[in-house]
Amino acid sequence: MRRFVLRRVATLAVTLLLVSLLVFVVVRILPGDPALIILGTEGNAETAQRIRESLGLNRPLVVQYLEWVGRAARGDLGRSIQYDVPVASLVVSRLAVTLPLTLLAAGFMALVALPVGVYAATHQRRWGDYVVMAASQVGVAVPGFWAGLLLVLLFAVQLGWFKSGGFDGWGQGVLPALKSLLLPAIALGLFQFAVLARTTRSAVLEVLREEYVKTARAKGLAERRVLFRHVLRNAMIPILTVSGIQLGQLMAGSIVLESVFYLPGLGRLAIGAISARDLPVVQGVVLFVASVIVTINVAVDLLYGVLDPRIRYE
Amino acid sequence: MTMAMLMRMALVLTLGLGLGVPGAHAQTAPGTLIVQVSTEPPGLDLTTNPASAIAGVVFDNVQEGLIKIDRTGKMVPWLAERWYTTDSKNYTFFLRKNVRFHNGREMKAADVKFALDRAVNPETKHPYRTQYEAIQDVIVKDDYTITVALKRVDATFLYTLARQGSVIYPREAVDSLKTQPLGTGPFTVAEWVRGDRIVLLKNKDYWVKGLPHLDKVIYRFIADPNAAVAALKAGDIDVSAFGIGPESVDELKKDARFQVIVGDTTNDVTLSMNNSKKPYTDKRVRLAVTHAINKDEVLKGAMFGHGKVLGSNVDPLNPFFVDVSKRVPYDPPKAKKLLAEAGYPNGFDVTFRVSPQYYYTVRSAEIITSQFAKVGIRAKIEQIEWGQWLSQVFCLAPCQNPDYEMSIIGHAEAWDIGNFANPKYYFRWDNPDFQKLYAESQVTVDDKMRRELYVKMQQMLADEAPAVWLYMHPRLVVTKKGVTGLWKDLPLPVLDLSEVAWQK
Repeated sequence: MRRFVLRRVATLAVTLLLVSLLVFVVVRILPGDPALIILGTEGNAETAQRIRESLGLNRPLVVQYLEWVGRAARGDLGRSIQYDVPVASLVVSRLAVTLPLTLLAAGFMALVALPVGVYAATHQRRWGDYVVMAASQVGVAVPGFWAGLLLVLLFAVQLGWFKSGGFDGWGQGVLPALKSLLLPAIALGLFQFAVLARTTRSAVLEVLREEYVKTARAKGLAERRVLFRHVLRNAMIPILTVSGIQLGQLMAGSIVLESVFYLPGLGRLAIGAISARDLPVVQGVVLFVASVIVTINVAVDLLYGVLDPRIRYE
Repeated sequence: MTMAMLMRMALVLTLGLGLGVPGAHAQTAPGTLIVQVSTEPPGLDLTTNPASAIAGVVFDNVQEGLIKIDRTGKMVPWLAERWYTTDSKNYTFFLRKNVRFHNGREMKAADVKFALDRAVNPETKHPYRTQYEAIQDVIVKDDYTITVALKRVDATFLYTLARQGSVIYPREAVDSLKTQPLGTGPFTVAEWVRGDRIVLLKNKDYWVKGLPHLDKVIYRFIADPNAAVAALKAGDIDVSAFGIGPESVDELKKDARFQVIVGDTTNDVTLSMNNSKKPYTDKRVRLAVTHAINKDEVLKGAMFGHGKVLGSNVDPLNPFFVDVSKRVPYDPPKAKKLLAEAGYPNGFDVTFRVSPQYYYTVRSAEIITSQFAKVGIRAKIEQIEWGQWLSQVFCLAPCQNPDYEMSIIGHAEAWDIGNFANPKYYFRWDNPDFQKLYAESQVTVDDKMRRELYVKMQQMLADEAPAVWLYMHPRLVVTKKGVTGLWKDLPLPVLDLSEVAWQK
């Protein structure tokens, strides 16, 4: 088990280094010079050159990369060009919106989708199953921003129960903060909810057909025990894989919903930084999000090992 | 189909459902105004960054200049009480007394000298430095008197002083302008939560007695026009200043909760042609292109009819504006004839390079493409991102030659006819006669003579057709009923809130 964990963590470190290189290169080959974008249509060659120098963009790429990675490893992601504040503090302040939003959506997704999926599988070809399948079909088909708009029109514009968007921070108390994240979280989780419900259903169905389930039933075990002890434990592997990917997708989906609900989250920070060619911020955010996703994947790997000991020895 | 288009369709569909019953709406605290703007400013320093999003917050609200352009576009004395010049080369300004900066110190002539010297100095990153090139020296006579000596007559000098780059700030606060701009304006910057809001508070010591009316202004950054409409309807914002799309105007006009302001701007939406590239080197081709475009239809399709059709680079807010839009009218047979004369009886192929960052550019290009088809011009639209547009089409250094055939963009600057006298500008139009006219207009201070020159220039632009001026982008503002005092037109990119109030 120890070797298994160590190996995974070592892979994580190498992956992160590769990610950082990729992020750096991709950001640099984006067409559009930050100096020119800062200057807009009023610029001239000499001011552009001066800005390039002050941003350190005229130095060799290798030097720029090594410096950036070196500082990033110590938690210093540089300074934002447009806001003139440390990138790390921007990321942290935006995370205070995106993280609870993603977790809320994930919670909504898991708490509803898992039971619903299991229910559909155990009631296959009965009306409950059809309802779940139809609802999840709709969930897959409806884009998050559209669902978001509908939720805003109903609950904010018509009923006035929620605000149409914005986030006043945690300073006003936990409940008002959660209230302003609820609608976007539902809209965000909708698609993933539908995917997870369907995945759970088919994973459970798959296991239900296995010989050992039949054996367990033949031994006269209670249906509940069969389900939890034998079926779910084995169905968890594909479900976990999908959930891990989904967490990443939730973060990506939050980019769109953050602009529908004008929430000051990481996604909006990234979009704004890209169009302003705020390179330190773009690099910082992408590196951060990539690290989170890579870490989630390693965590999922480790969980496999816990759920199914055979995996560790492969 | 782009995301923005999808979202717009979604909105139209949703609104079509006609959800008519208004819900319970929160009332803003009296004295507070929540304003939606579409872009968050990148920093708050007007003297190092030309982004108009900065002006929308800071200019005239936080920082002011010696001269002000008022809501009608007229120049009025502001921090300078009056001025005189005898030779149009030496201007002496008399500063208003007892004007205090937000840090409590009185504004003195030394501050004005500091601000102007800094604008002239090539070492600073002043974005409009070229506008101050005529300045030779700034001389402090006493605490309230200052003389600016020009190298040559500059007819736009006073106008330059009225613009956003000429705001006066306390010289000791120059290093923190980017995050904490200080000035003499009616409001102070109280808080900037990046990505979310900027809060302005009333300047209790404002030198204009009785102003401002508001105690607090909260700027909210909502880029998506649908989200802005929803926020208005949910009562979360009081004013949408830059963000409502023309498609929402008619619907909001019918809603008794709101008032809609449709005003003029200096933003001329222009179809540019690369005059250094064949076939646009040929005037007959350029005229044919102009004759092939039905501007009324473009305005209707792209802007739902809001805005005004243009015939040259000068906008209706300019005092020297003349309507030349009928000089080269919509006339497809004539366009065909001109094309045949120029050696293109079967038309030609062209690619529009436009940036979807400005939705109206793509919409206009789509409509024009179908109009072109009627005269044999086969147009294709290529959407590129704003950063690419700036380096490829607009050709900012290190670019040497603009890489485009046709493009569309709004030219928002007022008094920007000089771009056509600059053969290096991305139109690449090099016409010595026009350049001579423009140079003359720059050294003519007599208004009547200047007007004549401007009329000549406008006619010449229409006749030579180096570009096609499509329409003036309208100012679209929506407010809750009861908000008074907002400007109708935009002679400058400002959002002056000093006289805005809630009706009692």
